Amino acid sequence: MIAALGLLVGIVLGVIFQPDVPLGLEPYLPIAVVAALDAVFGGLRAYLDGIFDDKVFVVSFISNVVIAAAIVYLGDKLGVGGQLSTGVIVVLGIRIFSNVAAIRRHLFHA
Amino acid sequence: MPDVNTPLLTRITQGSLDEDYEHVASRRAQETGDRSPRRPHWTAAIVVAAFGTLVAVAAVQNSQRSGVEDASRASLIESINDKRSDLAELQRKLVRLRELNVGLQDELDAVTTAAAAAESRNVRLAAQAGYGTVTGPGVRITVDDAPNGEAVRDEDLARLVNGLWRAGAEAISINGKRLTARSAIRNSGVAINVNGIPLSPPYVVTAIGNNKTLQADLLETTTGLEFQTGANALGFPVTMENVDQVTLPAARPQKPRFAETGTAEQNATQRPKETTQ
Repeated sequence: MIAALGLLVGIVLGVIFQPDVPLGLEPYLPIAVVAALDAVFGGLRAYLDGIFDDKVFVVSFISNVVIAAAIVYLGDKLGVGGQLSTGVIVVLGIRIFSNVAAIRRHLFHA
Repeated sequence: MPDVNTPLLTRITQGSLDEDYEHVASRRAQETGDRSPRRPHWTAAIVVAAFGTLVAVAAVQNSQRSGVEDASRASLIESINDKRSDLAELQRKLVRLRELNVGLQDELDAVTTAAAAAESRNVRLAAQAGYGTVTGPGVRITVDDAPNGEAVRDEDLARLVNGLWRAGAEAISINGKRLTARSAIRNSGVAINVNGIPLSPPYVVTAIGNNKTLQADLLETTTGLEFQTGANALGFPVTMENVDQVTLPAARPQKPRFAETGTAEQNATQRPKETTQ
């Protein structure tokens, strides 16, 4: 409940203030969002499994975002940024789907 | 722990939940006997709020950038359409100019033909008027001063020339000076001037015409007869001979300074500029 409230507050803050992302960081924002989405769904699944832990969630969130952005940054420097971000998106997408499937099983017992 | 031989997709699917959750839960179960902690997740809420901000910012950025991209694409499309219409306009212009060019080419052909015709007519008229070289059969008449000192005078040559004209000569020259409509034969002191140039005896009068009849016809004309009798009386040696082909040179062209072509009425309608000057 508190987490859902936090999500709402965060979205509202983002929409109201619309902070300017530095141009250099702009390419890494979408991949960071996808990585954060993976961490959030992982946390939600752990919560439904009854094993949620704040510290693990925070660490996984931050490390996901930083590592995803770092991989894409490295790829950009090596000239394979597009391919690497595709790889990151594929892996994170599969994780998100399987986590969502587990969440669905918990919620609907299906 | 998944082993190395597990397919990649299976590994990703199995490890989709961070193993740390499981580790922490089992450790907590050993310490407290309870797997799940029962306290409010404030830190998680703050992180989720950060996530929400991230999503919102990304969405806003993306929509702004897509607006810019749409605008640039729209301006590009507009520019393309402008250039296309420009191109179509230029192509239409090209077609018009080509048609015009064809028309002008036809006109040029017509004018060139007319110019060639006018040029040949000019040459023909110049030859007839004495300002063009002519060649043909004719008669050569040589007149010299008499041995007793009696000199040939302008009136003798004028009679001879008039007789030749009357007898049907088409072109006449005296000592290589072609006779034209403006030629005069007159004495200046002892010399005879033709076209303003003094000549010296013997005088060779060359005429182009039908050389079968020219000599006979000359003696039938009044002036020709007068010349003949005058020459006989004064003792001028005169020789006449037919030539099969003789070339008479052109006279030096003289531009009229006062005479204009056409009547005054024609000039008033055709060349109003010159009459108003």
